[in-house]
Amino acid sequence: MKTLSSSAQHMIYGGLGLGLGFALSRIGFASFGQVHRMFIFSDLRLLFTFAGAVALTMIGFRILARNQRIPTKPFHPGTIPGSILFGVGWALTGACPAVAIVQLGEGKLAAVFTLLGILFGVWVFRQANGRLFRWDRGACD
Amino acid sequence: MIDNWMTGYWPWWLGSIALAVIAVGFWLLLHKTMGVSGSWANVVGWRDARAVARAEAPFRVNAAAMGDALLAATLAEFGEQATMDSLSGGGAGIAAAPAAATAQRRTPWTAHFTFLVSLFLGGLFASLLSGSFVLRFDLGATYTQLFGSGWQSWMMLMLGGGLVGFGTQMAGGCSSGHGLTGCARLAPASLLATALFFGTAVGVSLLIQMVAK
Repeated sequence: MKTLSSSAQHMIYGGLGLGLGFALSRIGFASFGQVHRMFIFSDLRLLFTFAGAVALTMIGFRILARNQRIPTKPFHPGTIPGSILFGVGWALTGACPAVAIVQLGEGKLAAVFTLLGILFGVWVFRQANGRLFRWDRGACD
Repeated sequence: MIDNWMTGYWPWWLGSIALAVIAVGFWLLLHKTMGVSGSWANVVGWRDARAVARAEAPFRVNAAAMGDALLAATLAEFGEQATMDSLSGGGAGIAAAPAAATAQRRTPWTAHFTFLVSLFLGGLFASLLSGSFVLRFDLGATYTQLFGSGWQSWMMLMLGGGLVGFGTQMAGGCSSGHGLTGCARLAPASLLATALFFGTAVGVSLLIQMVAK
């Protein structure tokens, strides 16, 4: 495959991030109330949004990338405990790793604390994985 | 069609289309699967990423140098005789090609940083354009009702954020990598991860709702 220059990569990552941040905000994924009401099933709009996005992404891959080998993430010992810990954190903060940044963009300054927590959590896991677990969690570059 | 599309939240189908366009576009433009927690890992571990990039730099310029380096390492490890015996069956140059290709495709950590910063700008523009931008020290009425306000709620956010950061790294993905892209490819690990983090969040949210009442 062709190699992208560094500035082209910055442009593309920047454009995609801008689009993702904009969409997450306009959908309401950066609103704690909207996310909480999705989790207690009192408002199903976000659930439909997500299910629809998965279905359309599946169709998009099938049509536009049908002859390409798209890598999938491997199962490893951290998949189950990690997902459960993330689930607890998502319920407490209303934030996944993208949404915490979008919340701050919307002027919600409390998200600074979520972001500090995420920074610390990512750093701690990197330290722990390097010294204790040494799991291969798939290519993450 | 949508009378309040600039002010109210988007209807579900419009949100679905937007997220799918970004997820598929991510692959088509970059030949990477979208993963925000992966970008966090690259930014937090920027020293590691920089060290790898520097170690690979000579091989990006000269792919043959990778073959030479591999041959030198093989000689040092196994000795001349065993290496020559092994090489008579194949060639040293073969190993160099895929290694050099890997070196070329690696994304600089600064591009991941650009991605995270642009998420901030995306949220900022969206809220400014829709007129919903408000500087505030809480996360909104629902959050305050459930967790209170001030230092106590901020510490809760820090704890929750720590679980999000640690958990997504441990699981090897988050709602974008496992939830959206992984599920769209029906990857077993991603389906399991999504069911678990969504199910856990549902359970904890219902519990919080009960305790707060």
